[in-house]
Amino acid sequence: MAENSAAGTILNIEGLNVSYPVYETDPVRALRGIDLKVREGEIIGLVGESGSGKTTLARSIMQLISRPGRVDSGRIEYDGRDLATLGEEELRALRGNDIAMVIPNPRTELNPLVTVGMQIANVARYHLSLPRKEAKKMAMAMLEAVQIPDPTRRFKAYPHELSGGMAQRVVMAIALICSPRFIISDDATSGLDVTVQTQVLELLQDLVQQQGASMLFITRDIGITAHYCHQVAIIYAGEIVELASTQNFFDNPQHPYSVMLLSAFSHNPKLRGLWTKVVDAALEGAAESGCYFAARCVRASDKCRAEHPDMREMTDAHSVRCHHPVER
Amino acid sequence: MRVVRYIGKRMLFIGPQLFGIILVSFFLVKLIPGDPAVMMLGPLATEATLTELRNEMGLNLSLVEQFYIYIKNLVLHGDLGRSWQTTRPVTEDLFLRMPATLELITLGLILGLLIGVPLGVGAAYLKRGILAKFSDYYGLLAGALPDFWLALVLIFFFYTILGWVPPPLGRLDFFTIAPPTVTGALLIDSLLDGNWAALGSAAGHLILPVVTLGLISGGPILKMTQSTMDRMLESDYSRYEEMCGLPKSIIIRHALRNSLPSVVTIVSVLYGFLIGGAVLVEIVFSWGGAGQYAVQGVLNADINPVLGFVFFAAVLSLIIYLIVDLIYFAIDPRVRG
Repeated sequence: MAENSAAGTILNIEGLNVSYPVYETDPVRALRGIDLKVREGEIIGLVGESGSGKTTLARSIMQLISRPGRVDSGRIEYDGRDLATLGEEELRALRGNDIAMVIPNPRTELNPLVTVGMQIANVARYHLSLPRKEAKKMAMAMLEAVQIPDPTRRFKAYPHELSGGMAQRVVMAIALICSPRFIISDDATSGLDVTVQTQVLELLQDLVQQQGASMLFITRDIGITAHYCHQVAIIYAGEIVELASTQNFFDNPQHPYSVMLLSAFSHNPKLRGLWTKVVDAALEGAAESGCYFAARCVRASDKCRAEHPDMREMTDAHSVRCHHPVER
Repeated sequence: MRVVRYIGKRMLFIGPQLFGIILVSFFLVKLIPGDPAVMMLGPLATEATLTELRNEMGLNLSLVEQFYIYIKNLVLHGDLGRSWQTTRPVTEDLFLRMPATLELITLGLILGLLIGVPLGVGAAYLKRGILAKFSDYYGLLAGALPDFWLALVLIFFFYTILGWVPPPLGRLDFFTIAPPTVTGALLIDSLLDGNWAALGSAAGHLILPVVTLGLISGGPILKMTQSTMDRMLESDYSRYEEMCGLPKSIIIRHALRNSLPSVVTIVSVLYGFLIGGAVLVEIVFSWGGAGQYAVQGVLNADINPVLGFVFFAAVLSLIIYLIVDLIYFAIDPRVRG
């Protein structure tokens, strides 16, 4: 554990399995053997489609998996401490303070009856034990830092009075006010216009880097990761299928699923045509023994259907979980 | 500004609403069989005296004419007619009795809130605890027990056996001098008068009926608080506050604030209901309240008290709903717009 901190690893996830029990059938395995290391100051992008386990991973790190989900095995170490061994009070002191979350739907997730200024101030007040007045001052400064127009007025506004972009900035202010060392952005800008999205992301990146924090940047939009992340991890059916530095990943995506994700943005109709083959039942139909992606994969062989691939390091800082990785 | 405009708009509708209520209740009450003239003069009266009395009371006129006269008296003179049982104007009777009922149910509902809200919050927060079990049984019992029965049991224990409370005969002891009527609520009037003996006596007499109503109305308040709190604690913003590491006490307090509109709603419904619905408790304690007055009227074909009661209850309900809306305005910025 000590050597992890020495090596600058802030978050270390090893073999994490999370499942949701389903009445009278097999549990749904939301995360299967996740291994992920995040170094200090690093922004790592996690890309996957809906239901691939992105949010479950985020909530696992917060130790707040929605009921009735549970961790079957594996560990999550934050700053050398196994999070599962911490008590409720220790976790509470960590959440929002050391590990902060930027959420995707701020207008429903902010408390409708509390002014946004007070919602920001509350976080500072209880984590940093500040008097009310100090906390308010800090919240005001934070509203300015996230570049909300007319911050004095917005401080007294209620969430329903804000536009989506402004609400997103408020949520960022809440996440950043305690200068957390680790930030999880869970699909944070998915509800915004593309133009607003860019502004908000630039700002988030700036603030995260100013504070020297690390970030797990969860998104469905693979294009965004190219601009904002040091590393990219592709998650499919609860499993990381490709992990590479951003440079390596976009130079040479190796997992067929990654290529398909990229091709979804392509102008080449042949490439986009790959997605028409998608089998709805593919996820459920995937044999536990084989590759989970085999049913949707254009390169699948008998080996893929029989044998589950392991994560292989192909080149430096580029690993892929595939029997037939795509080569250039 | 919005509030003022809103209240103004509501005021505009109060008149038509009241007219509608009187219209419907007037003709419905007239459907109750029974001839007031016979009730007033007794079985030995001759047909001639009966006819004379009917003419005098306007009962020979058509229903529409009677209704017109009733409305005219109400609008022009604030006159709701006379009760032949008490031989006094109904307005006077009701101004005497309505405060007794209001004092009783207001205190009863305050007690119901004091019981229901904390239990509901506790049961929602500690889902598997003893408190949640207790709340479940309590909610069930409060819904199942008749209020008059509970009142009788309480009287049996606390008056007959233990002798801790005064006898269930009215609002004051016989030998206590009542304070001059200002509001009609004895607690307030005796306080204003500085009459401590009356204050003590009134409080003593209030204990059992208030406890009865409190225990019964605590049930629905508890259920409403619990189910709303349940939903609020599972809501997105509660989860988000948890994610931000806010203390449990803050999360619960915020959830409770978001639950308040539902609690206010159920209390207002109970209040409107209890104005007439507390009548059994009033009878058990010989309270002399408005509900009792109306029931006497129904039983004796004394129509004016019944209509007067409906009118008073309607006005009070409208006032209560207006207050409720104002509370919503105060609680929820989204309503304020």
